[in-house]
Amino acid sequence: MPTKNVVDERIAKFKNKGKDLAKLREKRISACVQLRKAQKNESFLKRRNITLSSFPDEEALSPENKDTVSFRIEDIIKNVNSDDREAQTRGSQAARKLLSKSHDPPIKEIIDAGLLSRFVSFLSMDNEPTLQFEAAWALTNIASGTSWHTQQVVEHGAVTAFINLLASPMLHISEQAVWALGNIAGDGAAYRDVLIECNVIPALLARISPDTPVGYLRNLTWTLSNLCRNKNPCPPLSAVQQMLPSLIQLLHLGDKDILSDACWAISYLSDGSNDRIDVVVRTGIVPRLVELMNNKELCVMTPALRSIGNIVSGSDLHTQMAIDAGVLDVLPKLLRHPKPTMQKEAAWALSNIAAGPCKQIQQLITCSLLPPLVEVLRNGDFKTQKEAVWAVTNFTSGGTVEQVVHLVQSGALEAIINLLLVKDAKVILVILEAVNNMFMAAEKLGETEKLSLLIEELGGLERIEMLQNHSNEMVYQAAHNLIEKYFSDGDLEEV
Amino acid sequence: EKFLESVEGNQNYPLLLLTLLEKSQDNVIRVCAAVTFKNYIKRNWRIVEDEPNKISDADRTAIKANIVNLMLSSPEQIQKQLSDAISIIGREDFPQKWPDLLTEMVTRFRSGDFHIINGVLRTAHSLFKRYRHEFKSNELWTEIKLVLDTFALPLTELFKATIELCQTHGNDINALKVLFSSLTLISKLFYSLNFQDLPEFFEDNMETWMTNFHSLLTLDNKLLQTDDEEEAGLLELLKSQICDNAALYAQKYDEEFQPYLPRFVTAIWNLLVSTGQEVKYDLLVSNAIQFLASVCERPHYKHLFEDHNTLTSICEKVIVPNMEFRSADEEAFEDNSEEYIRRDLEGSDIDTRRRAACDLVRGLCKFFEGPVTAIFSGYVNSMLAEYAKNPGQNWKHKDAAIYLVTSLASKAQTQKHGITQANELVNLTEFFVNHILPDLKSCNVNEFPVLKADAIKYVMIFRSQLPKEQLLQAVPLLMAHLQAESTVEHTYAAHALERLFTMRGPNNVILITSAELAPFTEQLLTNLFKALTLPGSAENEYIMKAIMRSFSLLQEAIVPYIPILIGQLTHKLLLVSKNPSKPHFNHYLFESLCLSVRITCKANPTTVSSFEEALFPVFTEILQNDVQEFLPYVFQVMSLLLEIHSSSIPASYMALFPHLLQPALWERTGNIPPLVRLLQAYLEKGGASIAASAADKIPGLLGVFQKLIASKANDHQGFYLLNSIIENMPPESITQYRKQIFILLFQRLQSSKTTKFIKSFLVFVNLYCVKYGAIALQEIFDSIQPKMFGMVLEKIIIPEVQKVSGTVEKKICAVGITKILTECPAMMDTEYTKLWTPLLQALIGLFELPEDDSIPDDEHFIDIEDTPGYQTAFSQLAFAGRKEHDPIGDAVGNPKILLAQSLHKLSTACPGR
Repeated sequence: MPTKNVVDERIAKFKNKGKDLAKLREKRISACVQLRKAQKNESFLKRRNITLSSFPDEEALSPENKDTVSFRIEDIIKNVNSDDREAQTRGSQAARKLLSKSHDPPIKEIIDAGLLSRFVSFLSMDNEPTLQFEAAWALTNIASGTSWHTQQVVEHGAVTAFINLLASPMLHISEQAVWALGNIAGDGAAYRDVLIECNVIPALLARISPDTPVGYLRNLTWTLSNLCRNKNPCPPLSAVQQMLPSLIQLLHLGDKDILSDACWAISYLSDGSNDRIDVVVRTGIVPRLVELMNNKELCVMTPALRSIGNIVSGSDLHTQMAIDAGVLDVLPKLLRHPKPTMQKEAAWALSNIAAGPCKQIQQLITCSLLPPLVEVLRNGDFKTQKEAVWAVTNFTSGGTVEQVVHLVQSGALEAIINLLLVKDAKVILVILEAVNNMFMAAEKLGETEKLSLLIEELGGLERIEMLQNHSNEMVYQAAHNLIEKYFSDGDLEEV
Repeated sequence: EKFLESVEGNQNYPLLLLTLLEKSQDNVIRVCAAVTFKNYIKRNWRIVEDEPNKISDADRTAIKANIVNLMLSSPEQIQKQLSDAISIIGREDFPQKWPDLLTEMVTRFRSGDFHIINGVLRTAHSLFKRYRHEFKSNELWTEIKLVLDTFALPLTELFKATIELCQTHGNDINALKVLFSSLTLISKLFYSLNFQDLPEFFEDNMETWMTNFHSLLTLDNKLLQTDDEEEAGLLELLKSQICDNAALYAQKYDEEFQPYLPRFVTAIWNLLVSTGQEVKYDLLVSNAIQFLASVCERPHYKHLFEDHNTLTSICEKVIVPNMEFRSADEEAFEDNSEEYIRRDLEGSDIDTRRRAACDLVRGLCKFFEGPVTAIFSGYVNSMLAEYAKNPGQNWKHKDAAIYLVTSLASKAQTQKHGITQANELVNLTEFFVNHILPDLKSCNVNEFPVLKADAIKYVMIFRSQLPKEQLLQAVPLLMAHLQAESTVEHTYAAHALERLFTMRGPNNVILITSAELAPFTEQLLTNLFKALTLPGSAENEYIMKAIMRSFSLLQEAIVPYIPILIGQLTHKLLLVSKNPSKPHFNHYLFESLCLSVRITCKANPTTVSSFEEALFPVFTEILQNDVQEFLPYVFQVMSLLLEIHSSSIPASYMALFPHLLQPALWERTGNIPPLVRLLQAYLEKGGASIAASAADKIPGLLGVFQKLIASKANDHQGFYLLNSIIENMPPESITQYRKQIFILLFQRLQSSKTTKFIKSFLVFVNLYCVKYGAIALQEIFDSIQPKMFGMVLEKIIIPEVQKVSGTVEKKICAVGITKILTECPAMMDTEYTKLWTPLLQALIGLFELPEDDSIPDDEHFIDIEDTPGYQTAFSQLAFAGRKEHDPIGDAVGNPKILLAQSLHKLSTACPGR
């Protein structure tokens, strides 16, 4: 029987692997090799500073050097390496401007010129705020490059210098430090943990106050989100505990960029094992996240939906909290969202809820999730259809006989049969498993023959027969078993 | 060759082969060497765990170092073999153990020699095509990523360069042929590399690929057009592959592909309009139509089709022309009726044009049912008008009209009921009366056979949609068509009758009754049997099935005809038994025999002897010639005959008895179920006479039991036999064997205990108890080993009885356990007493709790194949079916009442306990 044989990397992600097939929850697959372009709507790993929110108008700050600055690398090197503060400032500023041009900044050249140690040493010159600032900006933009670029910044000792700079009384300098640290944290788990070791979190959180300007908070939230980001390993639990209260606070603000990055932070923290999800859920943030799924801004909805998607991939209890918070009232709207990626994420969340106990499955029915599910099965884009198919299979393996009947009657059977033409062996196998589950339900009602006829009418028999020629051994087997078991006694009907 | 195989284990052997194929002067030897080498690789390259490595590492390395070069420098015949060998090696070693393969291949792209390039492309295709069907996995995707990194860019460059070369060599046919095969291979590689997901590289370069694919679709070159009507040319192959590529993107990467899609729709549509009717275009046309069909169903592309002019021209220029009956169809209709029927009737028409056109109609109907129906109604009428003007000339127009109506009207279909949901905008009955009935009524059944076949098919597939009176009107007409010379036509007539006879009306009663058929009974039977004599239909399974169905429907009405018919059937049986080749025909033939027996003997059991007289000579011949396919059938028919006898076994059967015990017969799994059944019939009818006159055969009988019981697959059959022995043989005749039987069962229990075995064992133990008494049961267990009875109760009966399935089986266990509880003194007075209460609880559980159908994990796999009833090799006859047999029968009506009465009796006998 196909049910017992579906062994693959996706099932391996399900929380109750092998123990109870009725509960198939899927964790987000992130360690997986990707062929596609990186997701376009994820938040940025690193950003280059072109302008800064709390930075006073550039012209106002240095009106006179507009035309005195030389952008030649040789001049910059000479200036930065000179002992004259003014020259240093001029050189640093020129470097920063070069690094801020939108196309192809000369990061490599600046590093090769050996300027990094000078810049880092400038960071601690509290009595030279302009120089300090220019150096910080330049380093920020260098750290926004490739991993190697970031590495150069870190190895020149910038981490502690930047953390110290967070406390600067000059808001724009502190903000620049926030930004630089965000770039370093965004490089990966290793530097993220270096920063955490250096106590970056208390230093960052100390800057949050009711008076902190919005622009500053945006940068800070983004940096926090990068400190939550990345797996293998996940950020240390103690760090997570430190950040969560502030993140929760930020999530209650109204600014969309802050909300977006705070949601992304939550989505990273909830993308992990059940105990990680537990830490997030315990803060009581679930209802707010569900509310944010309804936000009018796509950049907020997306990470809010991701977070909730992660949470419903946790234990039954976690899922129930999301249901109690009203996630099922929002999902239909998201399943009908014009953007395919939203539909896909929503369908993924749905597939995980459908992997729950039959009580939760019943709530899917009660809250009218089946019509939008069938709609995406019919008309969604392929990625969405794939998730929706999993939802059907999970539903059929965990649902009661009555629930499965209800699903079939809502048009899901017809929709998945149409999808048997899909060019993806795994999806086909998952559909065949759903069909098999439906037959097991029909068996309990003594209605297998009725189901066989229905499937034949919908054109399914012909497609399943064709799948017996499929090159994938497991697809062939599953199709063959269905035919053998439910479609081969055509002539013995009237004895 | 044998010699070569014997030395292939030697080191250097494969290298010698390669040297031979490279250096030999003789082309035959070179090709032989290449084939031998490929087969050698196929057999030996894979390293199987726990088996010795069959090729030395040095040889492996040397082969991998040389083979690509060698392949590319060889003539095409050898290149193909070596390319196959590379892909076999690649499947095992690529990429880890053959890291430089790809780079080596890619460098050849720059060679400029398209003979070499095509060799590389072909090899790449055989390496990458598995990406189309394998499941996503990190391992697979890592490999694809690696391939993309080294291969995607050079492939793209090659694609562009090849297209340019096609322009510069536009007048050089030989160059074009090579270049177009490259383009086809490149397009295939594109498909494989883009199958699993949309790679970043191809997303970034979509413009290049799609623009070029699009222009290739619209390209035509006189030089590349072939004269061959059947075989697809290079241009067709390339365009078909491009259609597949576009369909892949449209299905999986819709968001990214959207900007290109409308262009492709237009190009493909133009392609369809301009492509001819020849068979060589079939694959291209059907791929192209399927592309349109899949796109037009998507809501966001609806607008591409909804314009009335667009719809009209799709209908007119794409659908209608592809529904026309072509000369190739006509040839198949006349000369290859089996193939024609398979395509037209049994649905193996997946990649035909008609089918594709039909799917497009359905796709369009999703959003445009009204307009499409209206447009087609116009076409149907004009085609019918054309036909009416000159039927002899224009009959194909009517054929297309009927096909169009059918595809327009049918929304859902099953084999069992025909079309079950129809387009309400099509008036099926009216069309039947005006256009179908006249053809059916035509007195010359041999005129326009295609249209006759169409008309018959119409009745057949729309049977659930047509009113009963129309069907009744059709029945005698269909009978007349059984006499048509055209194989397709009379086959369809038989099939249509057979389907009509299975129809059920309201309340699930048979729709067409025997009484309604009464006026036609004789004609029906005569024509069916006469149809079997028509050329080409001597073993026509549809006709034979119609015979079976007619018998089943007519019941007693066939009795007067049986004396003649049985002669014809046995004659047929004799003929086909010389060389059984049509399994379905043979099956229905035996079913028909069974029906004749059952129906006739039901009215008058004494007629059984006349059947035996007619059948036994043929059966004897089949048994003597050991016609393996037929033995299971013969055993079943014999069982049926024997079971009809009221008392003892006739001598003719007794003479056969010893032969049935021959071990050779029991070697074949397909024989086992029907043979066991036959032996059961023997025991039932003549247990006593076997004991009396053939007591020396009892050990043989028990030998069969012993053999069956040893097999996990057949043990339940062994129990069937054993239970029949216990039930029917006089007790004294088996006394001496009883202990041995139990010992065998215990041995099996120890060696491999399965749930199925336990279930059967429990039924047997309890049947034994019912038959011989509880005391006898206790004594026989304890005689094997002291305390054994208690162990069986404690370890098997009490914990497992809940698993017994089947009403009769449960009843036997209930009665047996009741007897143990109430009629076995040992249960009251010895240490077994402590088991009394648990046993009673188990019994009550058997009555009241749901059946325990759990199966231990380690048994899941064996059990599926061993479940009774699941027999692939055994062709079970539906009409030879055995009635369910209850060995306790009326002696105990309700086992619950028996328990209450017995307990009452017991408590009266032993008060206070």
